Amino acid sequence: MLSRSAERLYWLARYMERTENTAKLVSVHMNLLMDLPKGVEMGWQQLIHINGSEQEFLEKNKTINERTVTRFLLADPNYLGSLFSSLCAARENIRTTRELLPDEAWEQVNEMYLFAKKNLDNVANRRSRVIFLNEILKGCQRFTGLLSGYMSHHHPYRFIRLGRHLERADMTSRILDLASLLLSESRSDELRQYETILWMNILTSLNALLMYRQYVRSRIQGDDILNFLLHDENLPSSVTYCLSEIAHSINQLPNHDSLPEKISDLSAYVQAISTQNTTQLQLRRILDDLQNKLGSLHGQIADNWFLKMAVQSQ
Amino acid sequence: MKSIWENYKTDVAYDELMYSEFQSRPVSHSLCQYLNSLNKEDIDKRKIAAELAIMEMGITFTVYSDEGNIDRAWPFDIIPRIIDAKEWMIIEKGLKQRLAALNHFISDVYGEQLFIKEGKIPDSTINSSKNFRKECIGMKPMHNVWANICGTDLVRDKDGIMYVLEDNLRVPSGVSYMLENRVITKRVFPELLQDINIMPIDDYPTQLQDMLTSIAPYKNNNPQIVVLTPGIYNSAYFEHAYLARQMGAQLVEGNDLIVKSDDCVYMRTIEGLEKVDVIYRRIDDDFLDPEVFKKDSALGVRGLMRAWKAGNVALANAPGAGVADDKVVYAYVPEMIRYYLNEEPILPNVPTYLCSNKADLDYVMEHLAELVVKPANESGGYGMLVGPHSSNKEVEAFRKVILADPRNYIGQPTLSISTAPTLCKGRLEPRHVDLRPFILQGENTFVTAGGLTRVALKKGSLVVNSSQGGGSKDTWIINMENS
Repeated sequence: MLSRSAERLYWLARYMERTENTAKLVSVHMNLLMDLPKGVEMGWQQLIHINGSEQEFLEKNKTINERTVTRFLLADPNYLGSLFSSLCAARENIRTTRELLPDEAWEQVNEMYLFAKKNLDNVANRRSRVIFLNEILKGCQRFTGLLSGYMSHHHPYRFIRLGRHLERADMTSRILDLASLLLSESRSDELRQYETILWMNILTSLNALLMYRQYVRSRIQGDDILNFLLHDENLPSSVTYCLSEIAHSINQLPNHDSLPEKISDLSAYVQAISTQNTTQLQLRRILDDLQNKLGSLHGQIADNWFLKMAVQSQ
Repeated sequence: MKSIWENYKTDVAYDELMYSEFQSRPVSHSLCQYLNSLNKEDIDKRKIAAELAIMEMGITFTVYSDEGNIDRAWPFDIIPRIIDAKEWMIIEKGLKQRLAALNHFISDVYGEQLFIKEGKIPDSTINSSKNFRKECIGMKPMHNVWANICGTDLVRDKDGIMYVLEDNLRVPSGVSYMLENRVITKRVFPELLQDINIMPIDDYPTQLQDMLTSIAPYKNNNPQIVVLTPGIYNSAYFEHAYLARQMGAQLVEGNDLIVKSDDCVYMRTIEGLEKVDVIYRRIDDDFLDPEVFKKDSALGVRGLMRAWKAGNVALANAPGAGVADDKVVYAYVPEMIRYYLNEEPILPNVPTYLCSNKADLDYVMEHLAELVVKPANESGGYGMLVGPHSSNKEVEAFRKVILADPRNYIGQPTLSISTAPTLCKGRLEPRHVDLRPFILQGENTFVTAGGLTRVALKKGSLVVNSSQGGGSKDTWIINMENS
């Protein structure tokens, strides 16, 4: 398998995962805000914060509200972190790796792109936004499903799996960062009052609420949720699960050099994170560190397998 | 309700499907009967379905413009062009004959040069050809075949005869569109295809793979075949990717490949370097190897010519094959057929005046306003003059261009290229068409059943190139005897 193709498939998977995550995040957040009183710390600005793009947002917008934030996150073609930009990048990567994937995969991504392009203006309106996001989420799931069912689970698939889970681990860590707000000593009484709803919301945005109910069985509480999302071995969005998927893919790829040991180190690091009585400050520091470690894991994967001279993607 | 055939004119030129507004040719009886059973709305629906399929399948080509490169949907006309299998068998034989002679000629040019020595073609014509590569002298590619993949352009004149317009021996494109056109037609007219005996075309990728396997440098039933593309922004990238995936070959760009000191070609994979045996290259000679040709080419592979000359890798088409893809050399193809094969040409050439000949040049100058004049080495329909469709001023301007470089120009009578019914705003109108069959030659020779029919969508236009407002049609070879 060509190094160039490996790189494109890896990015294809990251961008598709990012598309799905962004859609899910906005969709869950909309539901949440319908339940919360105005003025709680959990406003739309938190979504901008999760993506670390406050500066770019403020350069383009004067006010932070539902309309400006959703437009920025979903439809802005010039913001590289927007859903539409991710989808465009995914399409470009699949367009240039079509020879390796089932026809349906390209058609699926292409259809989603055509759909999104046609409906970009509809994200301003809440009702049509719901439909838009549902379509995108369904499309992403179809994409994942048909690759899993139609494609040999060989090297090309392993790079897709690698990209998907690295992106997912990254997203989980960002959402946990948002959760750290709920641990802040100085959080308002109002926020404390809605704490349960907010924790449930964190779980929902990672597709983890039902699983939490089934497997943790304790009442909704911060420590347990953090523990679940960091350490559960079977939950697809937990950091530990993502790392084990990454490890599995890497172990089956040729020339993995010292990557397996590096993953083991990273897993051990995650295992050692204690979620009992963590303060907001501690948690943020840990999550920052985790995100850096995931970033350098990406660098090592690229060094190991991708074409050195290839143009670096975003 | 008005008929979609209303006012259909067959006096413009020979029409491929119709004798007149009311009478279809025998090959198109079933199609016309079927079309007549549909109302306008049905036809519109099919057209929209086809457009949607093209968008979703992402069948595109790239247009280069000042505003950047735009991927356009492939312009497709849903009404097929039909040819009788009996006629096709003769054309097929003619195409095989022609490519065989051309390959003899190229071998000769880079070998003993008997054709030149015996005075069949002037020395200067070869030496001044842009596509003559002296680096190739003495090479002997597998089976002595240089042009493995050929796209020959055919047109039918008002006399009903198919003429060869040109042989594309460098990197002919369009075959993926031929294949996709059939896929779309199957989606749009499923009822129709079931009832008519149309020759299938979808074995092309298999035939291509077999041909490429047959030219591998060592006897090897499973050689590593790659398709070398100039890159993801090339206008034919869609086709490169399409063919690679249909053959299960790797699609590579120049910097995926490396030639090591053992003069072998390797590709950079996640497992390290892997040896490459056959390269179906879709890059022009000029850009193939910066060590030998254009020094600043970033598309090619340094050392590729070394590897090829050492016999460690096969290139299709072989470098230098373009020497026969020159509109001046074209004029000598009938003579090549007689000389190398000792046969009479089955397919006629269009009469050609070579401006390098004094007598021919005088004729061209005198009749410029009636002729089509083309540069010897351009493709894509650029840089040519269509006398009868040009203003006096344009003709005079072109006269100067020819006189400045006569070797580079040929003149031909303006043919009355045949038409085929084409859907234009809900009605059928005659539009000019040509045909590009694809011929493969390796150990064996293969011709596609039909080819890519290109159609000039603009009324009266003779230019069928997709970059200049042309579209395409599915092409049916129908066996009348078994239906």
